[in-house]
This record gives sequence, structure tokens and C-alpha cells, in this order.
Amino acid sequence: MKRHLYAFGSLCRGEIDELSDVDLLACVETQDQARTIDTGRFSVYTRDRIRVLWREGNPFAWHLHLEAKLVFASDGADFLRELGVPREYEKADEDCVKFMRLFEESVQSLHSTSDSQVFHLSCIFLAARNFATCYSFTRGSPIFSRRSPLLIESPVALSTDVFDTLVRARVLSTRGIGEALTPHEISVAVRACPQIHDWMQSLLPSEVSV
Amino acid sequence: MSEFNNRIDAQRRILRIVNGSRNLREELFGLSSGALERWARANNVGQHDPLLELLNQAASKLFFLSNKSQEQITDEYQSLSAEVAVLTERIQAATSNASL
Repeated sequence: MKRHLYAFGSLCRGEIDELSDVDLLACVETQDQARTIDTGRFSVYTRDRIRVLWREGNPFAWHLHLEAKLVFASDGADFLRELGVPREYEKADEDCVKFMRLFEESVQSLHSTSDSQVFHLSCIFLAARNFATCYSFTRGSPIFSRRSPLLIESPVALSTDVFDTLVRARVLSTRGIGEALTPHEISVAVRACPQIHDWMQSLLPSEVSV
Repeated sequence: MSEFNNRIDAQRRILRIVNGSRNLREELFGLSSGALERWARANNVGQHDPLLELLNQAASKLFFLSNKSQEQITDEYQSLSAEVAVLTERIQAATSNASL
């Protein structure tokens, strides 16, 4: 059965630092074939599912189209390249609203209890990063970097220290590695949340409500 | 609320049950395999601890949320909310009985 393996993400952008991981994609023919692959190491998709993402103009399809590098092909072909250009991504505003809601729920959680602060901050990072990536599509130049909120043409007004605290929260949550955040770091990051809110609000079209 | 946000909310509820229930040496930071391993190590939770096993089950249901931030804008998740809700109740019960 055919199998195509790709690298994507920070490795393909040359963004290598102590928190970088290696994103790998496996494109397979059947669900049975998918079940034989370690999903802890690979994002596993059937070829049919990938084709659907392409037809939907899904941001992940664009991410793969623009960044993925073929590592192995059982048949010598480049499956993703052969799919051509994905359909235009048309849900950027809708997705930006979704991520702003996630941001607001996470801020509410930060203020309503004293536990799970690292997780709430990790969700704030996720919301800001995905918001910026979706917004970057509307400007004609998608940015998939972890630092997309700082790289788009209207970047968030956060200090590097605060942004790095949010990145560390995300890495603690998703991979369990890194120094735990100190109460001071958490407090400084929480105080910066209104800046993230104002940034998101300023980038949403005026007719869109959250 | 979108399916994506619902699943974050499910994860948030589980973490608050675990982190709000007792004095931990280190909180649980997420439901990724790496975060669960770190939490178990930091709090001397055994590999076969019933609470850890339930958390691992919940993590597998929410796998895409926990581990795959690159894909979290795809919304391509199976409908597992009922199973996660049952697991959340069992985690709530297990935290009452855990020896941490």
C-alpha cells in the first residue's frame, strides 16, 4: 500500500530552538494502515481525508501545501504536490472569532480560579497564535510560525518576555517539558491579557461580533 | 460554541478537577502524554494508578487537542463528547479516592 511521509512545521521553516519539535505527517491509503502508525510521532491522515482538506481550502491544507517537504514515498511520487493548489480559504473571519472566544474563555478561567493557570495561559497562546495565522490569510501571506502574533503586519503589543512565557506554558501543556512558570511570570502574563484582547478586537472586521 | 472550543472546555474541566482537588507538588499542565508523564513523575503517581489511567483515557479521546496544535484549526475531530463526559465524572470520583 502507498505511504508518503512529510516533514512540516518549524523544522521546514528553519525555526530551531530549544522548544522546537519535529512535525511529521503520514499520508496513508486506509484507516487500517493508519492504525499501525504511532500517532504520538506522526499526524496520520488518509489520502481521501487530505483530498477533502484540499477541496475545503482548509488552513491545514495550505500549511502543508506551502511548507511540507517529502521525506519518503513508497511509490516515488509526491502525493501532496500532485494535489496542486488547495481551494481558497474563506473562513478566516469565522475562525478568528472562534479563537477570540477561546481567548476570552481562558481569561475568564484565569480570573475565576487560582488553579490550572499554566493551562489557561497555554490556551491564550493557542488562541493568539491561531488567530494571527488565520488573520494572515486575509492579508495574502499566511504565517504558520509559532511567533505569528509577532510576525503579522499588525503585531500584538507584547514584550518578548511575556510572549515567551506564553510559549513556555504551551510547551508545558502539550509536551510536558521546560521550567515550570513562576508566580511572578504568571502574574505578568495575566496583566498583559488586555493588550491581546485589544489587538484581536482591532483586527476583526467591524461587522463581525464575538 | 464550536466543536473546537467545546473540546478545549472539556480539557479545562478535567484539569480543574485534578488541580483543584488537592495539594500537588506540581499541577497537571495539560492532557498530552508528555504533561501526564511529567505530572505522574512529579507527584509520585504510579503507572497503574486508577486516576492516571482515567486521565490517559481522556487524553486519548482528546488527542488532537492535546498534542497537535498545528492542526487545531482543522476542526476535524470525531464526536467523542459523551465519552469524555463519562470519563470526567469518573475522574471526579477518582480524585476523591486518590492517595496523592
